[in-house]
Amino acid sequence: MTARLDVDFTPAEGAMLRILGLIERRGYRIRELILAERPAHTSSLSILIEAHDAGRQPDTVARQLGNLFDVSSVTLSPSQQSACP
Amino acid sequence: MLSPAQRPPEPQPEQVSGARLVVEALERAGAEYIFGYPGGAIMPVYDALTGSSLKHILVRHEQAAALAADAYARVTGKAGVCLATSGPGATNLITGIANAFMDSVPMVAITGQVPTTLMGTDAFQEIDTFGLMMPIVKHSFLVRDPANIPHVFAQAFRIATSGRPGPVLIDLPKNVTNGFAPRCEPPSPQPQPPAFDGAAIAAADALIAAASKPLLYVGGGVAMAGAEEALRRFVARTAIPSVATLKGLGSIPTDDPTFIGMLGMHGSRAANIAVEECDLLICIGARFDDRATGKLASFAPNAKVIHLDADPSEIGKLRRAEVGFAGDIVAALDAFEATPDVGGWLAHCQGRKRLWAPRYDAPGQGIYAPALLKTLADKAGDGAIFTCDVGLHQMWVAQHCRFSRPQAHLTSGGLGTMGYGVPAGIGALLAEPDATVITVSGDGSFMMNVQELATLRRYRLPLKIVLIDNSQLGMVRQWQELFFEENFSEIDLSDNPDFSEVAHAFGIEAFTIDHRSQVAGAIDRLLGTSGPILMHVRIDPRENVWPLVPPNSPNVEMLEKRW
Ligand SMILES: Cc1ncc(C[n+]2csc(CCOP(=O)(O)OP(=O)(O)O)c2C)c(N)n1
Repeated sequence: MTARLDVDFTPAEGAMLRILGLIERRGYRIRELILAERPAHTSSLSILIEAHDAGRQPDTVARQLGNLFDVSSVTLSPSQQSACP
Repeated sequence: MLSPAQRPPEPQPEQVSGARLVVEALERAGAEYIFGYPGGAIMPVYDALTGSSLKHILVRHEQAAALAADAYARVTGKAGVCLATSGPGATNLITGIANAFMDSVPMVAITGQVPTTLMGTDAFQEIDTFGLMMPIVKHSFLVRDPANIPHVFAQAFRIATSGRPGPVLIDLPKNVTNGFAPRCEPPSPQPQPPAFDGAAIAAADALIAAASKPLLYVGGGVAMAGAEEALRRFVARTAIPSVATLKGLGSIPTDDPTFIGMLGMHGSRAANIAVEECDLLICIGARFDDRATGKLASFAPNAKVIHLDADPSEIGKLRRAEVGFAGDIVAALDAFEATPDVGGWLAHCQGRKRLWAPRYDAPGQGIYAPALLKTLADKAGDGAIFTCDVGLHQMWVAQHCRFSRPQAHLTSGGLGTMGYGVPAGIGALLAEPDATVITVSGDGSFMMNVQELATLRRYRLPLKIVLIDNSQLGMVRQWQELFFEENFSEIDLSDNPDFSEVAHAFGIEAFTIDHRSQVAGAIDRLLGTSGPILMHVRIDPRENVWPLVPPNSPNVEMLEKRW
């Protein structure tokens, strides 16, 4: 199962590692990643994730990401493969 | 009026060292004890400790610093603080930090680091502490500028203690603690009013009112949220029976008539059957851990679920909840109004509890550990704090001791860390110096942090250690007996040292017993001694812990002891 996570965060020391590490440790593969710089010291990541096994609920990993201190918002949308090749 | 150019220069704020800022930040955060071990990269901080109000406890291994800080935090509710140098100091802290992470214990762990210019060069005692700790901390900071220290420390304490508590790492490169910056006070945060969901309260009330067999499933989150009193008010109002996880024990006193017992792998039959039969499970500060639920699909099969937790990501993680509350457990419990008629259901659960109560009349003259622990807990009284290690003895403590508050039972629940008991006893005694603190350990576990006997001796901490010696890694032995066809592989500890002699060598009073007739006198001696003391108890190596739910089985399929 795939899903897209849009994550707004403060690019503090280790923030990217925390976000990507958490997703991988919680049983998801990262299929696609787009990093955008936003004004006022924020960044945003758009991440296409795929669960390693069927029982996993992407909304749980979205909420776990929301607990990270650097993360200001997480939006989960159902699977939409990127239009990019 | 003077023009700006004519005015005398503003006095420059006083520049102080980064290490001094660290100490002042800890003082400002209300830290009293810090547990640590010095070394090269953290030496500037040790230098600045002299003369501060902080009391430093020099342990003999950094793991013990983190474990003692963990126990101190569990008892006081404040963040525990531990301190270590870079490289091996930091790696030795890892188990203790992971322990705090798994059990959601507030902690601030401070590590020294090589100077920023050397980071990434494999310098002497350099390790990527920030990277190593990432999966086991709630948050981490690598400080690159001494001016950031006050702000970082204030944030670290806030993050460690708020929401779902947890450990926070601060990695301090040596040039940062040796550097200089002006003093500054970080702004104090605006307290956030707790979020409160009125619609969810109404929905939960409707479920409670409609239930005929409601049951509370109480976890360690109750104590972490300081919600014991609110929970007791709720139970007093509704008389809904409860079961608790290993970490939830004591949130409702174990001898309260509405408390049915611990659930799960080594839980009581009455508790596991109550979960099987209930039609509404009110889960408070628990997380449907597999040791508690057994085979998840068979857990509370007939129940709707109300789930209260400080951590939103726990709601619905493993079991769908009809109603979920993320946030303030106290406010939610106090807002429930429904008072269902549960008299018959409660009496039914209580009858089962009486029917299946543990027996203490084991045959023979050897010491039966459950009976010893029950007598010990009764004699020690409600104020006593038990800390334990991991293994059969840990489960016997949970099953047979009494707890009137969650702080009275300090156990490594999530990580299951052998070696927790003695350092936890140190932390508990510093948190509550007047309490009777008893560590129950196994012969395998005790050896994992045996060096901390020296810490007990140095600070004259009157810890009472009950070392239950079966000359085996008992819990592993039991699993090998039951699930590996008695292929007993590497569990024999019959060449243990003479533990009484070991304690004596550290300057600690100790004695050994091996016969049932000695138990009463031994407990009196243990409790009557004013300094640290070790009671070495030899038991039958074949003794197992019962009941036991085999892995991946439903909780109602318990294996039990017969005699
Ligand atoms: C650090 C660590 N290593 C290994 C284990 C696995 N383990 C769990 S219980 C146990 C045996 C404990 O033996 P002991 O302390 O003698 O207690 P007993 O079970 O005999 O009461 C082991 C090895 C663990 N929990 N922690």
